Amino acid sequence: MDDKTATVETPEGEEGAKSKPREDAWYPPKQRDLAVIRQLVSKDFKLKYRRSALGVAWSVLNPLLMMIVMAAVFSSFMKFGSDSVVNFPLYLIIGNTTFTLLADSTNGGMGSILGAASLLKKVKINRWVFPVQKVLSALVNYAFSLIAVALVMLFFRIPLTPLALLLPVGLLLMTVFCIGLSFFLAAASVFFRDVMHLWGVILTAWTYATPIFYVIDILPGWMKTFENFNPLYLFITFFRDVLLFQRVPTLSLWIRLILFALVSLGIGYVVFHRHEHKFILFI
Amino acid sequence: MSDNIEMSTDNWSASLDLNKTLVEYGDFVAATAIVKGANPHACTYRFTWMLEGGGEGGTSGEPNGEFQYGFAPPHEGKFLITCDITGPDGQTVTASRWMTCGDTDEFTRPPLPSPDAETVVSVDDVSMVFNIASEQFNSLKEYFIALMRHELKFKEFRALDHISFEVKRGEAFGLVGTNGSGKSTMLKIIAGVLDASSGSCRVAGTIAPLIELGAGFDMELTAKENIYLNGALLGYRKEFIDEHFQDIVEFAELQNFMEMPLKNYSSGMVARIAFAIATITEPDILIVDETLSVGDFLFQKKCERRIKELVSADNVTVLLVSHSIDLVERICDRVCWIEKGKQRMLGPTDEVCEAYKNLGK
Repeated sequence: MDDKTATVETPEGEEGAKSKPREDAWYPPKQRDLAVIRQLVSKDFKLKYRRSALGVAWSVLNPLLMMIVMAAVFSSFMKFGSDSVVNFPLYLIIGNTTFTLLADSTNGGMGSILGAASLLKKVKINRWVFPVQKVLSALVNYAFSLIAVALVMLFFRIPLTPLALLLPVGLLLMTVFCIGLSFFLAAASVFFRDVMHLWGVILTAWTYATPIFYVIDILPGWMKTFENFNPLYLFITFFRDVLLFQRVPTLSLWIRLILFALVSLGIGYVVFHRHEHKFILFI
Repeated sequence: MSDNIEMSTDNWSASLDLNKTLVEYGDFVAATAIVKGANPHACTYRFTWMLEGGGEGGTSGEPNGEFQYGFAPPHEGKFLITCDITGPDGQTVTASRWMTCGDTDEFTRPPLPSPDAETVVSVDDVSMVFNIASEQFNSLKEYFIALMRHELKFKEFRALDHISFEVKRGEAFGLVGTNGSGKSTMLKIIAGVLDASSGSCRVAGTIAPLIELGAGFDMELTAKENIYLNGALLGYRKEFIDEHFQDIVEFAELQNFMEMPLKNYSSGMVARIAFAIATITEPDILIVDETLSVGDFLFQKKCERRIKELVSADNVTVLLVSHSIDLVERICDRVCWIEKGKQRMLGPTDEVCEAYKNLGK
């Protein structure tokens, strides 16, 4: 259309003018995954307490109220455990919050792929983002329940020692463990929805099989051996060690926790990764 | 496209950039002269505009140091914006660019790509096979019963059968075919959502999918929260969304509803937001899957105009899927016709559409 002006086309010239807004618009792939996780976690958080009067305060109140109920029930009616523990309410709330973290993260992670179905069918997104995000959402919730733990410690005047600095390390291992479990459950529930119902039962069995509201001493011998390899009990023991009993977790406990975390992540990721390309056909 | 003309002397060169080349009456266009190889602040600029075919015209006045020029077209039509740039060495070059104002009838399909243009989508011998039987087990019980009865034999359904084509940068490529012929499956493979059973599909660059508007929206969240969430899912930077938030809201024309949960929106309003987010910047590849059927006619027109704007942009490749042959004919330069999973025809729009239209006769 511009024959009269003899010109040279230079693509670079156009690039120079246009490339700025284009380059700035997108994250590189890795940062993009992180941004998606951040947005999804904040979405979960906003939705959880939307339209409730107390809002996020429930994340603190809930474990506190649960602890009060359970402490009342178990120390006055059942009379077990409470004498042999320095501080039964703290003993209880640590066990309970840890179990809630496990239950929340695995339940969330399990349904994460199915829940993201409409998205996975339309946008290309790394699928591992979804189980991981659910575990992190549960972790945020757990962080608030730590405020409840702190309140209990304050109330009973239990000092916070430098040992509490080990808490984040234990939490990291627990997160890795839960992510691995969530990978496995997310993949399994895509192919067999039964898993979702089954997992609820398993979780209930797991609570009762774990010394959360009773002490390990009341268990028969073979159960005590079992507890040595019950990851939930091991994590709870770790948190009780550093917050309640004020002692350094034993080396053998460390090793078992690290093994559980790595094995869980390893198996979970392999199962997830092997089958993830088929997810879209089943969701 | 060839619209942007760059002129050069021995030492330096200049070109003209318009922030829009397709505008509505009443819109405002900023023309920016870009000088390379010389200090832009040492140059003087004089902008002129001229209606196509001569007659009307105007200038920015005497040459001065201002390298930006705001131009509001006085009426509809096609205008040539020209800038005379005098460099520090006294030499003058002229850069010019066309701009269309008003009805988009003037839109011309992009030219057929040159064979050496960069390939952005390359579909090589792609087949997609679904196992119909295996998809029906949703519970362990059903699965094991079938396993015991040795009924785990699969019925195969070939949704795509050896499809091959290439799309070059800047093209507008159409996929046509009757219902259930595999167009959307093909699009999902290109979008990276579905993995092909055999063959390979390579895509270079960022993709903005307009497949079913509103995917990834959460109905409980407000429109504002959804814009950020959806932006992240499309891969936009947060700062980028901050910056363009107002543009998105304006394009969707929903200024007064941003703090309202999305569940109170009508489906048309949701589609507006989704469209606005996906097209707020120029992606490398824009995938459009018959999304224009939602929203009122004014918004549909606006969407089509925006898609055409993206088609005319130099670096955007548009993939359009539609069984409305009309839209494909208006926009695309090349078309692939897929019928019952098989590639029936691949070539320039007119040829393929002609053959496709004869199908019903």
